[in-house]
Amino acid sequence: MFRIVRTPIVLDRLVRAVRDPAAGALVVFLGTTRNQNAGRRVVRLEYEAYDRMAVAEMRRLAAQAKRRWPIRKVAMAHRIGFVPIGRASVAIVVSAGHRAPAFAACRWLIDRLKAIVPIWKREHFRGGRVWIGPQSGAPRRARAARRPGG
Amino acid sequence: MRVRLRFFAALRERMGARAERSVEPGTTVGALWRALVAERPELAATRVRIAVNETYVEPSHRLADGDEVAFFPPVSGGA
Repeated sequence: MFRIVRTPIVLDRLVRAVRDPAAGALVVFLGTTRNQNAGRRVVRLEYEAYDRMAVAEMRRLAAQAKRRWPIRKVAMAHRIGFVPIGRASVAIVVSAGHRAPAFAACRWLIDRLKAIVPIWKREHFRGGRVWIGPQSGAPRRARAARRPGG
Repeated sequence: MRVRLRFFAALRERMGARAERSVEPGTTVGALWRALVAERPELAATRVRIAVNETYVEPSHRLADGDEVAFFPPVSGGA
């Protein structure tokens, strides 16, 4: 299951999507909206997606993860629109026979999602709002380097 | 030939979400972006990534009739 949603992420749906009788581990990552960034108090967050491409890139990432690690199933969801502080904006669930590849694949998937899946975040703070990510500067190659967490 | 343009995030706010445009056969996506910048010099400093039909492409990618070309800033999804 790979989805862009406009309503709260329902984790149980993702968990059900990756259930597998051969799985001995199911790893969940939830990315949640933080109330501050770079020393500035954030009052709410807003996300925008290129929906169909975002879902296509999620599927590609899951296929790549399955080639790299012995995992069973992957489900990913990203919420868009306004997301209140402290809620899940992204969820990734991975099932595998054993926990080590499930953790490794889940970690890699969130890093890659943040680097290439076409979704944009805008932080709203008192007195303004700003798109996150480098908006100007020298052009870069299509496959961006990994960004630090944010 | 005609291509459909889509813009996202900060670029959407400047360009609108969607547009259509006629281009000469053989036009690359890089040339199309330079043409847009020539019309709107304020875009010159924009760091842009380009996708055609929902797949990332390099600036040398040649357009085909009916393509959907998306221009957007580096992505910033996640939490």
